[in-house]
Amino acid sequence: MVGPTASLTPLARADGSASYHCPSTGSNILGSVNAPVELPGRRDALKPEDATVEVFVKTGTAPASVGERYVEGIIRGVVGRLILGRERGYARRGVVITLAIVGGESVGRADSHLTLLPALLHTALLALLSASVPLSMTFSATVLSVDASGKITREPSAEVAAAAKSIHVLAFTSKGHLLLNESEGAFDFDTWEKVRQRASAICHGTSTVGADGDIAMVEDADGQPLEGTIRETVEDQVHRDYAWKIDAA
Amino acid sequence: MNKEAPLSIAERDFILNALREDVRLDGRAADQLRPLTVSFGEEYGHVKVQLGRTSLIVRISAEVTKPHDDRPFDGLFTIAMELTAMGSPAWDNGRQGDLETYVTNVLDRVVRHSNALDTESLCIVKGVSCWSIRADVHITDYDGNLIDAACAGIMAGLQHFRRQDAVVKEGQVIVYGLDERVPVALNITHKPLSVTFHTFDEGKKVIIDATRKEEQASEADVVIGLNNAGDVCFMSKFSGSPVDAMVFVDKTSVALEKVKEINAIIDKALQADLAKRAKSGMLEMSRAENDRELEQ
Amino acid sequence: MASTAPSLTLPPSQFARLQPHAYLLAHLSPPASSNQPSIRANGRAPAQFRVTSANTGSLTHTNGSAVVRVGDTTAVCGVRAEILPTDDIASWSVSHTSSRTTNKRQKLANSDSEEQQEEEDPNDKSHIQDLNLLVPNLSLSTGCAPGFIPGAPPSALAQSLSHQILNLLHSTRLVRAEDLRVWYQPPSLGGESLERHNAEEQMDVDDEGTGKEDDGEKAEVKAFWVLYIDVMIVSLAGNPFDAAWAAVLAALRDTKLPKASWDVDNEIVVCSDKVSEARKLALRGLPVASSFGVFEADAAAGWRAVIVPDAEEERLIEEGARKGIQRRWVLADPDGYEEGLSQERACVVVDKKQGKTVIVKMEKNGGWALDGQALKEVVEISARRWEEVKSILEQC
Repeated sequence: MVGPTASLTPLARADGSASYHCPSTGSNILGSVNAPVELPGRRDALKPEDATVEVFVKTGTAPASVGERYVEGIIRGVVGRLILGRERGYARRGVVITLAIVGGESVGRADSHLTLLPALLHTALLALLSASVPLSMTFSATVLSVDASGKITREPSAEVAAAAKSIHVLAFTSKGHLLLNESEGAFDFDTWEKVRQRASAICHGTSTVGADGDIAMVEDADGQPLEGTIRETVEDQVHRDYAWKIDAA
Repeated sequence: MNKEAPLSIAERDFILNALREDVRLDGRAADQLRPLTVSFGEEYGHVKVQLGRTSLIVRISAEVTKPHDDRPFDGLFTIAMELTAMGSPAWDNGRQGDLETYVTNVLDRVVRHSNALDTESLCIVKGVSCWSIRADVHITDYDGNLIDAACAGIMAGLQHFRRQDAVVKEGQVIVYGLDERVPVALNITHKPLSVTFHTFDEGKKVIIDATRKEEQASEADVVIGLNNAGDVCFMSKFSGSPVDAMVFVDKTSVALEKVKEINAIIDKALQADLAKRAKSGMLEMSRAENDRELEQ
Repeated sequence: MASTAPSLTLPPSQFARLQPHAYLLAHLSPPASSNQPSIRANGRAPAQFRVTSANTGSLTHTNGSAVVRVGDTTAVCGVRAEILPTDDIASWSVSHTSSRTTNKRQKLANSDSEEQQEEEDPNDKSHIQDLNLLVPNLSLSTGCAPGFIPGAPPSALAQSLSHQILNLLHSTRLVRAEDLRVWYQPPSLGGESLERHNAEEQMDVDDEGTGKEDDGEKAEVKAFWVLYIDVMIVSLAGNPFDAAWAAVLAALRDTKLPKASWDVDNEIVVCSDKVSEARKLALRGLPVASSFGVFEADAAAGWRAVIVPDAEEERLIEEGARKGIQRRWVLADPDGYEEGLSQERACVVVDKKQGKTVIVKMEKNGGWALDGQALKEVVEISARRWEEVKSILEQC
């Protein structure tokens, strides 16, 4: 399985930016973060002691639709809980996250955006990290589809997702909490428990669950945990940015 | 906000004084473009344009729709550009600013109204179905001269794009997948591009391809749209102080030279991409054959 | 000096405004000495929903309508059916060879015979979804809550609620595509003259011919019904989605489509105005939405969440806390006041088939309190709520 690739700060103008490419779902997202910024015109809506998080998702090849507003709401809910909006300089200001879908198939008006969601979330997170916005923790997210026979597919392509019985997006914090769950399609709770376990393994690996031979195999199939991919992307960037300092030492 | 933070007086004076001595901040001559690179993505019609520190992504897409009732033989072509906070922190998400309206209008005139894309070739069945071509422009970094960069991006995208093949059989339109039939290139009638000039000192100094700071310090702008043959398809002096008519006359030849230069860059990039695709296409073919063998 | 010091007590309503968090917390965790049960500020138990009532057929000029009240949140839904002739659909006669959307017309013909026996109609989803046969729109009208100003464009909340309703309509496949098709059965060659004669006058024979029951290989879909589902939140006091969805469900259950047939001579769709010929939609199942908010005792958690215990530690804390003081409450059907105090939300849509609970949609966002066990409880509460809503909808 080919893991996602990401790079930090590809853009010059925005405070922070990231590009993210997930080969299995084919999504390619470019994200930027401006923070902290003044948000005039919304002064009455600003919270007095907290930062206002704004998310904007721009479609790649189709006119904007209500679906983007819904996804924006989800992303705002996730990152809003991570951003330390009460830090100095953030209260009464805004954190503006812009995500553009620059590659992959576009999502139809009525299609669910769930397959795109993990890529959008990861891009938002990396862009926030690139903009040095204070966060309480990081997270990783994945999408799984369950077909009629109960087979779980990780990061399904558009065709697999269309044929699936249910689709689940789960996000876990770096400390292992379930941060987000979006499931649609018919399923029962036991299926969801299985999906949750698999998702947890994809995001964090299975080392925390216990050294069970069976589970270890799952980890191999899923390759490197996503949490590690995110961490390495940031580490690589830090190494590049501080090359002058590291070389001197 | 929708307005960049204004230049300080000192900065403005510095730019102006330097220009009076024929010096630009980045060391270019008055008639020199910033380095322009055009590159293509994996999909057809996915273009990345980098002009100095201005960068943008253009995506071309096609779908089958119903033509307008009053023009049953014409396909549809739309250029969609929305400025987001990604390009510049000064731009507001989801709110249309003056710049957006202006640039969209100019692009529409230069590319669409000059009929660069032959919309009649997009017709499939008269009055029933036609192709709708959409060009989405995503501004990723803004450092001046949006119009020229976007224009180059859209034209490159249109030339690079391949739509699925469609055939009419017994009143049915059959659209073949990209892997089944060789996709069809769009019918481009000519290759118009725009060149934007900015004037300073009551029109005494004229430069092309201004950066964001130069744009802010300038008095007025003049946009000339031309194709390789030298046909003028757009000319505007939109706002700012008056400009001597001779500027238009003098600079049209400069514009033509630049249009040829940009078109050459696009052509070169297209050639390179085509060669790359031909190479990987061969690989793809052999792999596809292997797949089939495996299936059997 | 004998005068008493001015009283520092506040009436409860003022306390609720000044210190909303402390106010709700005081209700949910009363001091042990007071011997009062833990209860929400609105007098409900944590898992209790507000009083719900529904009324259908309230709007005259619709094909189906409903008003649903959940406490002080009121949603009005009207369903209006419009005819969409297939000639007006640009993609109708277009077939894609490679992608999943193969020729709609051909597919229809193939599955035509089997779809009467089979509930799982493969065309269903693609038809309803690709042709946009269901068009829900939700408006949060002026005056439904203080924050809504007249003349403003649809808020992000209204847009995302519209999308959620659309998404749920598609993922539950609530409406059958078959109900929305208008068929035409070309007359067999022998009886052509007779039929044409009749069709001009009465259309009776033609009507029978349009029925899909007989040798349906030549039957052709000539038009579709498009259902415009408009929801208006008349009054918003928290939890708009549950009320809106219940209203959509009730309105669709109430919807009657007139009998429509294709008039060959005039090439138009003709609807019969006989009430007796109108038929109801046959919906798939009865998915019911239940929303929850999570209220956290730790007011400082929002202040600076610097120390966040990891999931394992948290589980231990939770175990200990179970015996002692509760720190988190999952509040069913939060009202506006509670919504403002809970960051974490969950929404579960369940349906029951042969007594078995099927989750159709489950989402949680905005926090990390709800996980395995807690979500399971939430699903169980939702399953109980399903029974409740079912009886309400069946009575109206």
